[in-house]
Amino acid sequence: MKNKRQLLFRIAAIVIILAVAAVMFVIGRGHTIYFDNKETSYNGQTVEAFYKVTVTTGEEKPSKLSKGDRGMTSIMGQTLSMTLEITDAEGEQPHAHKVSMKVPYGMDGITINIPALMAGLPQDAYLSEFVIEVPDTGATDEEIVTDEFDMGADM
Amino acid sequence: MTTQKVKAALKNFGLPRLIIAGFLLLLLIMAPFVGADLPTQISNIINRFSWNGILVLAMVPMVHSGCGLNFGLPLGIISGLLGATLSIEFGFTGPLSFLAAILIATPFALILGTLYGWLLNKIKGGEMMIATYVGFSSVSFMCMMWLILPYHSPNMVWGLSGKGLRTTISLEGYYIGALANFLQINIGSISIPTGTLLFFALLAFCIWAFLHTKTGTAMTAVGSNPAFAKAAGINVDKIRMLSVIMSTWLAAIGILVYEQGFGFIQLYMAPFYMALPAVSAILIGGASVNKATIMNVIVGTILFQGIVTMTPTVMNNMIHMDMSEVIRIIASMGMILFALTRKTEGSK
Amino acid sequence: MKKSNNTKNSTDIRLLVQKFSVPLMFIIICAICIPLSGLSANMLINEIVTRIGRNAFLILSLLIPIMAGMGLNFGMTLGAMAAEIALIFVSDWQIVGIPGMVLAAIVSVPISVLLGIFCGKILNEAKGREMITSYIMSFFVNGIYQLVVLYLMGSIIPIKHGAIKLPRGYGIRNTVSLLSMRQKLDNLLAINVAGVKIPVLTFIIIALLCLFIVWFSRTKLGQDMRAVGQDMGVARDAGINVERTRIISIVMSTVLAGFGMIIYLQNMGNIATYSAHSQIGMFCIAALLVGGASVDRASIGNVFLGVILFHTMFIVAPKAGAAITGDSMIGEYFRVFVSYAVITIALVMYETNKRRAKSAAGQQLQAAQDAEEAAGKEKA
Repeated sequence: MKNKRQLLFRIAAIVIILAVAAVMFVIGRGHTIYFDNKETSYNGQTVEAFYKVTVTTGEEKPSKLSKGDRGMTSIMGQTLSMTLEITDAEGEQPHAHKVSMKVPYGMDGITINIPALMAGLPQDAYLSEFVIEVPDTGATDEEIVTDEFDMGADM
Repeated sequence: MTTQKVKAALKNFGLPRLIIAGFLLLLLIMAPFVGADLPTQISNIINRFSWNGILVLAMVPMVHSGCGLNFGLPLGIISGLLGATLSIEFGFTGPLSFLAAILIATPFALILGTLYGWLLNKIKGGEMMIATYVGFSSVSFMCMMWLILPYHSPNMVWGLSGKGLRTTISLEGYYIGALANFLQINIGSISIPTGTLLFFALLAFCIWAFLHTKTGTAMTAVGSNPAFAKAAGINVDKIRMLSVIMSTWLAAIGILVYEQGFGFIQLYMAPFYMALPAVSAILIGGASVNKATIMNVIVGTILFQGIVTMTPTVMNNMIHMDMSEVIRIIASMGMILFALTRKTEGSK
Repeated sequence: MKKSNNTKNSTDIRLLVQKFSVPLMFIIICAICIPLSGLSANMLINEIVTRIGRNAFLILSLLIPIMAGMGLNFGMTLGAMAAEIALIFVSDWQIVGIPGMVLAAIVSVPISVLLGIFCGKILNEAKGREMITSYIMSFFVNGIYQLVVLYLMGSIIPIKHGAIKLPRGYGIRNTVSLLSMRQKLDNLLAINVAGVKIPVLTFIIIALLCLFIVWFSRTKLGQDMRAVGQDMGVARDAGINVERTRIISIVMSTVLAGFGMIIYLQNMGNIATYSAHSQIGMFCIAALLVGGASVDRASIGNVFLGVILFHTMFIVAPKAGAAITGDSMIGEYFRVFVSYAVITIALVMYETNKRRAKSAAGQQLQAAQDAEEAAGKEKA
């Protein structure tokens, strides 16, 4: 009887831990987001870049993007919430928008085209995966230092 | 009945040892197929055996007297390094500097060995752990000393500041090959360092002969049964002290022989982990924590060096991955772990 | 009567001085080195607070095996390696921040438990020389760790990101960046007191571990461990499963060391894949001993005193050495030497005390026997 209860407790504990791990997978997934303030075309429709966009996400320093600029931020979790302050042309008052959207789990780096997003185009128009190329630091492999004192290389 | 006997023999021989011997055999069989040059390999093994044999031999006296595996080998190596550097500092050159190095190293080895033996007599039962840390402390202490001591020889100190010894010192012009070049035999690609082998044989014979003298048998008695030895009127502490001094001195000579083959003196952190390969070599050769013979030394050094030289070439040619270092660590540490888990009588 | 009292007092003082000789020595070293190093008080305190947060958890993981009489657990490195493997996976899965740390902790547990059981079983075969065995064990498992990380990861174990994989396609790079979780734990709830950053959350976690250890030592299992640590024979006669208890103590220590390593590495901000764990055992053990612990007795107080004294020495020694000799390397070597010397002295003191206690017990037995004999004679 006691053993059965113990077993039950153990299984429950393992299930809880696995559940916590699963939650961590979701809320802890990091993404790098790149914002583009660039002209884009989709299905023949061309969207102009804004004169200036200020993007604020979380507590990070806002990135100010002029025409053709790209900004970057990293987020944690599946939801990207940001505040966009858009200036359409020089001298005009900026107007603010709050945007919140889901980002795909599988992408590490995501590019978001702000003009396309604001124009209300479908997701595949403004969102694309950004694959970071690891800079090839030369043809030779990195020297692996497995131990400081070179134990056993010789007696 | 016979299967039982075989099983008992296998258990006695030990699974790790069997695996290591089998592995080496496999390497030797594979070598020609993967295009490794067997004569060069064998020549390498003989040479490395001649470099390292005496360092492994330095384990024997302490194991015999029940002080366990000499993890404090670096202490003896330090004495050898002092001899080597002072010999050069005093201006000895050529093969003569080898002799001078041995002579200068000897008093250091005797003094350090006496202190070390005194310490180990105070802490019977915990020798191996404390030996390890005595080795580490002495190496790190000498790291400071190599920088501070007033060495001046331009071949040894840093060129820029003119003080503090370099991490590696070339023995070119000093005792490089002092023993190895003596009566060297060259057959094709095989070269046999006869002098070094003879020197090893001489020391090994001396140890063997010593173990058969009255003091030597007393040493074995102390190791196998200290209570009995005490009852028989043997001064246990004195015998243990003697064994520690012998081990320390052999380690000092061992590093000098190693250097004359290798061609460089390595200072600072280099002696740090030198005890571990020597310990695992003698264990691979069939020794245990409280039993070791000259045969164990010879077989063990050949097997260990065989693995050290053969694995990189064979592995590289076979699977294009140089896993030799990892294999060496796992094999040698596995062997030491195995030996430590065997039940032994007498000393712990 | 009075005289014996006096001698008792003086031996008490002698024992006290002997007991605290290592911390005293360190206080003196620090007192000499601090002014020489030229570090400002603010900088020094900042550094020490950071290092308490970074190391205390790791050092606390050593306490449980000491309780079980298994000495200083050099095998804590096993837990550190488990944590590194877990962190490599988590960075490859791109789980960042505190969730990443929690996930790494969860992933490290099964690895730590397996390694701990293996280590515990081996140590049960090597009773009486646990320390040297656990020390060699750390090297052995380091070999296996290298096999896994350098050859199997990327070739058999899937690793996706090129940033942590070697260009040759398998094996992990020398350093793995943990930028995405760097000091995330330390900075959450951190407060600034007079220019000193205090990582409150890290301290809370350390405090919780301390409470856990205090609580644990009072449970049935904790009491069993103490009994095993005192005398295995007696414990066995009392019906305690000695082998199992010892294995549990090593497993707990390994798991806690794994958590400690995650805290340590989040503070550092990157993993030195092949060397981060190699010295960690030595430094933690040295710190604990500096705090006045011995091989068979250590308390939470020893951990904190040790971490403060040891790391003060560690910070100021290179600077002080440079100030005295003009060569910073001397200070570096000096602190390494002191770490090893402290461990050596502590081991020697432990063994000599053990022998003294043994011979004292023998003498007592002899005296009792003599008395009995005398009594028997009188009767006759």
